[in-house]
Amino acid sequence: MLINDNRAYRLVLLLALSVVSSSALAHGVDDNTRSFLQQNTGVQFGPFLYIGAKHMLTGYDHLLFLVGVIFFLYRSRDVLLYVTMFTVGHSITLLWGVLGDIQVNAYLIDTIIGLSVVYKGFDNLGGFKRVFGRQPDTRLAVLIFGLFHGFGLATKLQEFQLPGQGLLTNLLAFNIGVELGQFAALAFILIAINFWRRSAFFERFATFANTLLMSAGFMLMGYQLTGFTLQ
Amino acid sequence: MQHLIDLTTLIKATLIAVLIAAIALVTLILPAEYNIDPTGVGQKLGLTLLADAAETTTSPPQPEIVSADPEQVVEVTVPAGEGIEYKFRMNQHDKLFYEWITDGEPLYFDLHGEPEGDTTGYFESYAIATLDSMEGSFTAPFTGSHGWYWKNTSTKPVAIQLIVNGQYQIIGL
Repeated sequence: MLINDNRAYRLVLLLALSVVSSSALAHGVDDNTRSFLQQNTGVQFGPFLYIGAKHMLTGYDHLLFLVGVIFFLYRSRDVLLYVTMFTVGHSITLLWGVLGDIQVNAYLIDTIIGLSVVYKGFDNLGGFKRVFGRQPDTRLAVLIFGLFHGFGLATKLQEFQLPGQGLLTNLLAFNIGVELGQFAALAFILIAINFWRRSAFFERFATFANTLLMSAGFMLMGYQLTGFTLQ
Repeated sequence: MQHLIDLTTLIKATLIAVLIAAIALVTLILPAEYNIDPTGVGQKLGLTLLADAAETTTSPPQPEIVSADPEQVVEVTVPAGEGIEYKFRMNQHDKLFYEWITDGEPLYFDLHGEPEGDTTGYFESYAIATLDSMEGSFTAPFTGSHGWYWKNTSTKPVAIQLIVNGQYQIIGL
């Protein structure tokens, strides 16, 4: 029983890791998608749905933040609440950013997304309580960082000078795709973390895991800030 | 909900996170992504090749072709509400590098080719979009006329500056 459990847990962890590392691109969208987006005219519901879902599933910056957010959420009600905050946040700015044609520098937005990962790792370690003596509202923080993630998604779509015809429908399709992708990624992450929590590992490695999370966030920040200074 | 650890551990964890990130950035990520390789590790691992490859695919046409066949600049105007075609005669496998920009207004276009001697009206599209500028190249899949159809749906005439070089003869409008 114990051995079986352990095996299953390893398998799931491996699966989750392979999802996270699969062909993820930092600045967004691969060549096929790019040429499709540039040649597309009119309403294309299915393709935009797919692109949105794919972007979320292969966008490691969003996934890392989600891992951080649900790391210490034990009750499904909390998971639902926090993920909803994140979803509301990024939906608002995704739609607003593209429809309002708000140009935000993609490197700076991605730096802030990197910062959101650092924040969540630090927060999970109880850093704010320890250093500042008080805990910032975690739900509000997730909502605010969700707004930045949405601007990130918006800048990725805006790189393509999308034609105005059918824009709103395509945008909604993309947004629904983002949610579906997020849902799929979340299912994997939740299963993996739940298996992990059952093992004696979890408590011991929680500090280690959140340190790595912070580190990954710092890497994203350094990577994007360098891109910003080079552009 | 958090995992409250003592201050020393917290500081240690944060410093380790920064350190790991800095090492990974300097030795792996920056060499592979931007060809910035202060330590030389990126080169040893072959990571700088990735950045090189990314640079060459986005770089302009090779210099030898430019010198053999200097670029030409063509100006065309698309009247309001109308479409025009601008074509080049090219042999199969001939290559055309191009760059065009309108005076502001985006235009619907179809970049396509028609085989020589064809009477069925067949044509092959290489790109269809609505843009105010475009840059790229294509290799003619067959001998015939190749070029743009631009459609101006606005109420003002739109001027296009087209810069080309490669192997072609101008047919024109």
